[in-house]
Amino acid sequence: MNHVEPIRLAQVSAGYGQRVVLDGLDLGLQQGTITAIVGPNGSGKSTVIRAMARLLPTRSGVVLLDGQDIRSFGPRGIARLVSVLPQSPSSPPGLTVRELVELGRFPHTGLFGRLGVEGVLAVESALTLTGLADFAQRPLDELSGGERQRAWVALALAQGASTLLLDEPTTFLDVRHQFEVLDLVASLCTSRDMTVVMVLHDLVHAANYADRVVVVDDGRIVADGAPAEVLTVELMQTVFGVAARIFTDAESGRMFCLPIGTGS
Amino acid sequence: MRSARSFAALTLLAAVAAVVLFVLHLGLGTVWIPPDRVVLALLDRPTDPTDLTIVRELRLPRAILGLLVGCMLGLSGALLQVVMRNRLAEPGLTGVSTGGIFAAVLFLAGTWGLPSPGQLLPFVVLVGALAGGALVLFASSFRGRIDPLRLILTAVIVNAVLGSLTSIVMLNSQQALGGILSWLIGSLNGRVWDDVWLALPWAAAGIPAGLLAARAANLLQLDDESGRALGLPLQPARVALFGLAAVLAAGAVSVSGAIAFVGLMAPNAARVIAGADARRVLPLAALIGCVLLLAADLVAQSLSIRPPIPSSSARVGLPVGAVLAVFGAPLLITLIRRSIR
Repeated sequence: MNHVEPIRLAQVSAGYGQRVVLDGLDLGLQQGTITAIVGPNGSGKSTVIRAMARLLPTRSGVVLLDGQDIRSFGPRGIARLVSVLPQSPSSPPGLTVRELVELGRFPHTGLFGRLGVEGVLAVESALTLTGLADFAQRPLDELSGGERQRAWVALALAQGASTLLLDEPTTFLDVRHQFEVLDLVASLCTSRDMTVVMVLHDLVHAANYADRVVVVDDGRIVADGAPAEVLTVELMQTVFGVAARIFTDAESGRMFCLPIGTGS
Repeated sequence: MRSARSFAALTLLAAVAAVVLFVLHLGLGTVWIPPDRVVLALLDRPTDPTDLTIVRELRLPRAILGLLVGCMLGLSGALLQVVMRNRLAEPGLTGVSTGGIFAAVLFLAGTWGLPSPGQLLPFVVLVGALAGGALVLFASSFRGRIDPLRLILTAVIVNAVLGSLTSIVMLNSQQALGGILSWLIGSLNGRVWDDVWLALPWAAAGIPAGLLAARAANLLQLDDESGRALGLPLQPARVALFGLAAVLAAGAVSVSGAIAFVGLMAPNAARVIAGADARRVLPLAALIGCVLLLAADLVAQSLSIRPPIPSSSARVGLPVGAVLAVFGAPLLITLIRRSIR
């Protein structure tokens, strides 16, 4: 393999207080692909993302960014390579979309540097790509849930990092807005050759938007591969504890995973 | 309300108001000096030589202090509202007001055998104020972490304790501590150039530093995870902004006492006008703080009272802190009713 992996977790263990959440995890990402991380509640899905951006320090093991130990980067150095969209981000009431997106340039400007031409261009292109150019002057709290989520994606894009980590980006969104956000992420992956990792609850989204599905259970990876290989009736039973039907809709070509009960 | 043009217009309006109030403030006193003569005296071309003495020697220090203290309190409140994630936060929540006053009471009650304790008082207040701020910061940090809610609760508790201790010392004191009342409510009466020199270094360092903290403030206004993901070290940023707010408030308290409301009202007014971006809120809060304090001090100067002290029949100006509380409260309530529906 010639490409250096944008992020690699090698034997990573991490946790909160006494609790060990990730236990010797190995995971490498491939440039320009979408990886979905799925798993039951409390399995450690979000912790994987937090470890990747050093939002949570590792107990043991190494995280590599572009082949280099993440500990050799400063906080802003990491933020120039990796953008994170947390699960429930919040902004102060009255903050406009443009003001929010400009904050994405912090990794480049620091506390006192100027936005500069490069920064202005990055902000403009992030607004355009997310379809928010007309909303730039609007306060975030006046937007719909879907538009607001797009604004946070725009913030992450303005950062100019080549890896984007999203923690349950579709939670709290209605079905149409879920598709909007996922389509946006998929198009970014292609147009900007970005590497994307999404923590998802909805396995149908994982099946249809990800190149690769990683199933995490109890801090370990229990399955990893193309959606069709990974998402099986057996896996649904053993990992999620539900009986499910898995089929592909002939008309749309989309794969469905339909849980039908706890199966006992 | 939030367009760039109306922001610029309102900022300009506030700046003009500050200048007008400053000139009026210099004109007002036992002898009224019209604005044109005030300006000429300031420019060193007085029409009447006594104007020069009255304006530049007697009245200028108080007006400058009004400007500085208003600015410091407005900015301090705005920074603190960011650090505490709460629009009810005001400079008193740094612990500096109660700290400064406790130190003053302790000092006056003891007198410590010094020939003229009055002259040392502002320094004592300053040291007490900074110690109060440090106490709140120290008591609220847990395993090196500062949490906004814990910071607020700690400040409220520290303020309550220092306030009680102040009362205890005052009750036990053999001496009349009447002078302390004007520190408790905040006043600019009878301030001189020495007071300006005491406050100036804190203003000169604190105001530019506070304004430069806008970008850190903006990131702190996001949720913790977003701020960290963008590369801001949250804990050092919180400590730095709290420290700036405390230093600004301590500088103000050391010359004027605990003036309430400006530090609460100015940032809230700034947010109604300018939205949430700290690059606008911080300078505007400072400017509105100046305007409010100068306006209130104008009123305070023109309304004098005769304190019930048997030996004296002199009339003294109202303390500006009292004026602010009386006139400020309805203004603030109106503002909040309009902005938070």
